[in-house]
Amino acid sequence: MSRLHPAKEGAFLAFWRMLRRSLLWGADSILHGHWIKGLLLFSAQAALLSGIILTFPSLMKLPSLGTVPAERIWDPITRRNVWNDYDNSFLILLFGVTGIALIILFVVLCLRRGKASRPPSSLREDAARLLGPDFHKTMLLLPVTGVVLVMVIPLAVMILIAFTNYDRAHLVPTNLLSWISLSNFKQLTDLASGGAFAYAFPRVLGWTLTWAVTATLSCYIGGTLLAMLINRRSTRWKPFWRTCFMAAMAVPQFVSLLLMRNLFADVGIVNTLLKGWGVTDWLYRIGAIPTAGHIPFLTHPGWARGMILAINLWVGIPWQMLVATGVLLNIPRELTEAARIDGAGALQVFRRITLPYLLHITGPSLISGMVTNINNFNVIWLLTRDIYVTTDQQMAAAGATEVDLLVTWLYRLTQDQSNYKMASVIGILVFAVCSAITLTAFTRLTRDGKEAAFR
Amino acid sequence: MRTFLRHALLALLASVWLLPILWLVLTSFGVDEGPNITRFFPEEYTLSHYAELLRPDSISSFPTWFVNTLIVAVFTCVISTAFVLMTAYAMSFLRFRFRRGLMNMAVILNLFPGFLGMIAVYFILREAGLTNSLTGLIIVYSAGASVDYLIAKGFFDTVSPSLREAAWVEGANEWVVFTRIILPLSKPIVVYTVISSFLYPWMDFVYASLIMSSGVASDKTVALGLFSLVDKVNRNRYFARFCAGGVVVSVPISVLFIIMQRFYVEGITTGAVKG
Repeated sequence: MSRLHPAKEGAFLAFWRMLRRSLLWGADSILHGHWIKGLLLFSAQAALLSGIILTFPSLMKLPSLGTVPAERIWDPITRRNVWNDYDNSFLILLFGVTGIALIILFVVLCLRRGKASRPPSSLREDAARLLGPDFHKTMLLLPVTGVVLVMVIPLAVMILIAFTNYDRAHLVPTNLLSWISLSNFKQLTDLASGGAFAYAFPRVLGWTLTWAVTATLSCYIGGTLLAMLINRRSTRWKPFWRTCFMAAMAVPQFVSLLLMRNLFADVGIVNTLLKGWGVTDWLYRIGAIPTAGHIPFLTHPGWARGMILAINLWVGIPWQMLVATGVLLNIPRELTEAARIDGAGALQVFRRITLPYLLHITGPSLISGMVTNINNFNVIWLLTRDIYVTTDQQMAAAGATEVDLLVTWLYRLTQDQSNYKMASVIGILVFAVCSAITLTAFTRLTRDGKEAAFR
Repeated sequence: MRTFLRHALLALLASVWLLPILWLVLTSFGVDEGPNITRFFPEEYTLSHYAELLRPDSISSFPTWFVNTLIVAVFTCVISTAFVLMTAYAMSFLRFRFRRGLMNMAVILNLFPGFLGMIAVYFILREAGLTNSLTGLIIVYSAGASVDYLIAKGFFDTVSPSLREAAWVEGANEWVVFTRIILPLSKPIVVYTVISSFLYPWMDFVYASLIMSSGVASDKTVALGLFSLVDKVNRNRYFARFCAGGVVVSVPISVLFIIMQRFYVEGITTGAVKG
């Protein structure tokens, strides 16, 4: 029998076509006469494969993080000491992770191409699809690529660093890193041996959470109330009021915050004025300040925290006012007017229409605002850097202060102490602590049913 | 009476918000070089701090800082605005397979402290020779901007989808719908996105201090530069110059704000098919 059974031949051909489509990109297009598209697909595959080949050596070294330490060796030709061909543990991590991402991308694309059953389309048809049913691809290609390159891959690398010994004693590229499994995490819970990190972590975490909730809610409520105050029909000079508050926002934070820190300095103008008015002495008599002579606005743990929250209101309320104004103006007039005609009072209109509408639109921003505040660096840093010095020895040993958020602690650990492994551990814990709460709230707020509610 | 009280309250609040700015302006025109700690109004007024600002020395190099930041801000503004609006539009109006997955992914990414990933980005940029360069800073500010699409999406959710259907009947493709119909109707959120992404490089201190870490005066952005003027060593000599710099930076930004505010109010109140 020289010929295959027709049905079997059909199955075989289909299999061959699938294999060709998935592994040899562009071949089908060229067979169908779409030369340009075929070549484009082919070069895409070539680029992807060469990326995988280039990163493959690093991928293989991932388990050891490199074995050749950096050293200067004598080069007889140039008669100089030159660096040997050493392993750079950080680059091994980076390229290893990139290699894994490329391999996943390649496999996914191969599988998807293999599954497609319709004959290859021409470039013109593709363009039509990208402006029609596939428009999401057009819109998301560049944004998503950007996010993967500067967020996803770097984050993956930093997460891996939490399991290595990357600190001041092991700096890349002069040292090789090695995997040390969970011992960095154990430092945070190891209270028994008197570890500074175990002492500092719950304190910093507690203040971070207090700060995030208080700062977000106070700015949200304050900004919304302000927007409503300004947008009331009987309020005159609306643009003027808005401009006043926006002027405060227009001054960049580092200017306004650095200014604030000089206003409220121990030897600053507010202290001078309050002392002249006798407020400082009075506060000292009732025991609100520990030392006579000045109010420690930004140098005493309690006062500094209060001032940070208060100054944050000054910074945050104009922003929220701007957002709330936009949403308030966007409320369908018919809704509120119909309600008024039906005899609803101002309070009822607010409770039944304005508030639900506002929450629906700005709800997600409230949650993301809380996360932003957990990661809010500017306010704390600009107000307290170089001014606030902790007197708590154990906090100082861990590189933290009472006013530090987890994220400013993270910054201190990397910039002042080069302690990348602990910084990475703290970063992961920031994520772990808020992700559970946030994901629940987020999925509840963006459920599709609700998205359609106001359409 | 209640209306009067409301206006009084607004006036009080406005003065709380404007007093620090007034102090900034007064100090920049005052004769003292350091911060004046005894009186709110300076004894005498002078323009000399502004003149000094334009003459670079080893510590203060304001004209360079300003140009650096402006370049970064313009590029960041264009790229970020495009990324944010495109992502928000896709997530709000389009329905596709990985939509929910990508949205959750953005939330997860936002849960990590941005600075964590930036440490790795810094090392990568250093390998590529892009630290202490404006290009590196633009990449850092704009490439990941689209994860902050939620506010814009919240706004797009209030725009009626019937507008898009009407446009399809007219034979418009998705790109035309996006740029000619939805975006003009969404001026407030476009303006908001433009403002916030343009301001980001002016406001940011942390990433700039990470990427532009050479300490050379001409490598700094406005934020880094002005910060260096009020550190412990320089504060008493440069504080007034810091204030002058703050005023100079804030003036163009405020003007921009007021122009944009006009768009902002008009944008939505003019008629469109809503609801």
